[in-house]
Amino acid sequence: MQGLHMVGVRHAYGRTQVLNDISLTVPAGELVCLLGPSGCGKTTLLRIAAGMERLQGGSVTIDEQVVAAPNVQVPPEERQIGFMFQDYALFPHLSVFDNVAFGLFRLDQGAARTRAMEVLEQVGMTHHADKHPHLLSGGQQQRVALARALAPKPRLVLLDEPFAGLDTNMRARVRQQTLSVLKQTNVATLMVTHDPREAMFMADRIKVMGENGQILQSGRPEDIYYNPVEEYVARLFGPMNMIKGTVRNGALETSFGVLSVNGQDDGAAVRLLIRPEGINLSSNGDQPGDTPVEVISAHLLGDSSIVRIRIRDGINSGAEFQARIPGAFDLMGGGRTWARVDPAHVFPYPQEQ
Amino acid sequence: MFSPILKNNKPTESFDMVEITQSFKIEVEAIDADHRRLVEIINEITDAIDDGRAEECVALVPNFVEFSQQHFEREEALLTKHAYPLAEKHRQHHVGLTDKMKTIQALSERAAHSQPAADALRKELVFILMDDVINEDLAFKSFLVKAEAEGGAG
Repeated sequence: MQGLHMVGVRHAYGRTQVLNDISLTVPAGELVCLLGPSGCGKTTLLRIAAGMERLQGGSVTIDEQVVAAPNVQVPPEERQIGFMFQDYALFPHLSVFDNVAFGLFRLDQGAARTRAMEVLEQVGMTHHADKHPHLLSGGQQQRVALARALAPKPRLVLLDEPFAGLDTNMRARVRQQTLSVLKQTNVATLMVTHDPREAMFMADRIKVMGENGQILQSGRPEDIYYNPVEEYVARLFGPMNMIKGTVRNGALETSFGVLSVNGQDDGAAVRLLIRPEGINLSSNGDQPGDTPVEVISAHLLGDSSIVRIRIRDGINSGAEFQARIPGAFDLMGGGRTWARVDPAHVFPYPQEQ
Repeated sequence: MFSPILKNNKPTESFDMVEITQSFKIEVEAIDADHRRLVEIINEITDAIDDGRAEECVALVPNFVEFSQQHFEREEALLTKHAYPLAEKHRQHHVGLTDKMKTIQALSERAAHSQPAADALRKELVFILMDDVINEDLAFKSFLVKAEAEGGAG
C-alpha cells in the first residue's frame, strides 16, 4: 500500500510499557495525528516509524516495504522519510538553498538544483534562497524545514510538535501553509501533538493516546469532539462543567431540564460533562430548558468570553458553571440572564470513572 | 492500496481506490474473502464518486454497512468457536463502529450535492476499513491462523 502501516507495535523502557499493541494506517495523501499528553508514548511511536528506536514487537511497513519487524530493521536513512520537528534545526552555516539541497546528494548537481528550487517554490521561499537561517523569522525557518523534508520526495513525513516553537499568529499561518503543501504533495503524514485544536485543524484522522500506551479513540476530528468515548478524551479539549446524578428513565433531571443520558442504565450513578461552549446564555429566558442564572464574572478572550454563572433555581441551585459565548458579554447591562444547555455538548460517563 | 496520485480528489488514472496488500492480509481465507468483498464495495462507491454518479452512493453505502455487519457476525462466531480470549473485547469494538456507520450513511445522502461530503465519504470509508476493521482484525491473526491450522474448536 502507499503509505504507512504499523501493526501491533509494543515498546517498553525497562519495565515500563510505553506502547501497548498500537496499530495505525496512514494512506498516501492523508494526515493522521497522534494526540495525547507528554509521556503517553506518541513520540516513541514516531521514532519507531522513523527507525530511530529499535522495534521490540509488531511491524512497520512503508509503501508495502517492511522496514521494521522481528529480524528486520531498515536504517532511518534508507526509509525515505522526511522529518520536521519542533527544533527544525536548519544548518546555520548553510544558505536556505543549501539546507534544502543537502538531502539531495543522490541527484546530480543540476537535478538537485532544480528539485531544491521546485520545493522552495512550493513553500513560497524562493526569494530567500540565498539567505542564512538566522535572517529568517521562525515561520520562514519552519517553511524551509518543510521544504528540506519534502525535497527528496519522501514516502512518509513525520512531524513532531512542528509548530510548538512559533507564536500564536505565526503558528496559525504556518500550519495552514504546511497542510496545503502536504496535501499537494500527496504524501502520507504522521504528526504528533499534545494540542487538540491543532490536531483538529490538521488531521484527517485523530488517534487519541492514553497514559497506558494504548489508543483510546480513533476517528475524524468531529468524532473525537462530539462523541468522546471516554471522559479522558472529552476533557482533552479543556475544562468541563459537571453534574452528578442518578439515571431515571434514560435521563437525568437537572436545572437545565431533563437531559438524555444514552447508553447508561437506569439507577446508574453518572457524571454529565458539559462543555462551556455547550451552555448558551440569553436575556429573555423564553426557551424550554432556560434556567435563571446569576452572572459571577465575565472574561473576554478576544473572539469569545468565558462567563462564570451560578444556577438560581432547581435541583442544581447554587452550582457554578462556565459558559463560553461568542464575542463579549455585557456584564454592565444588569439585566437578567438565563442559561440553556446544547445536548450536543453533553457527555454522560459512569461515576466510577 | 490507494491511488498513488490523487489530484483535486480525482485519480489521474484509473486505479482502484483500495486493494488488500500483503500487510493487510489476515491469512484466514474466510476473513480475507470478507475484506476483499468490502474493498470491492468501497471501490464501487469511489468509482461512482469519480465518475460523477455520486447520487448512487446513497444506494451503495448500505451495501457496505450491511456486509460489514454480516462480516462482524461471521468473525465473532469464528472467534467464539476457537475460544479467542479477547473475543468479547473485539465484539465491543464492532459495536463501537455503529456511530461511524451512521456517519458514512449521512455523508452518502449529501454526497450528490456536496463535493466536501463526497470527499469525506471516500476518506472515511478507507479509514473505517483499513484502520478500524482490518487493523483490529490483525490483532488476532496469529491466534486464528494457528487455531485454524490445528482445526480444533479451541
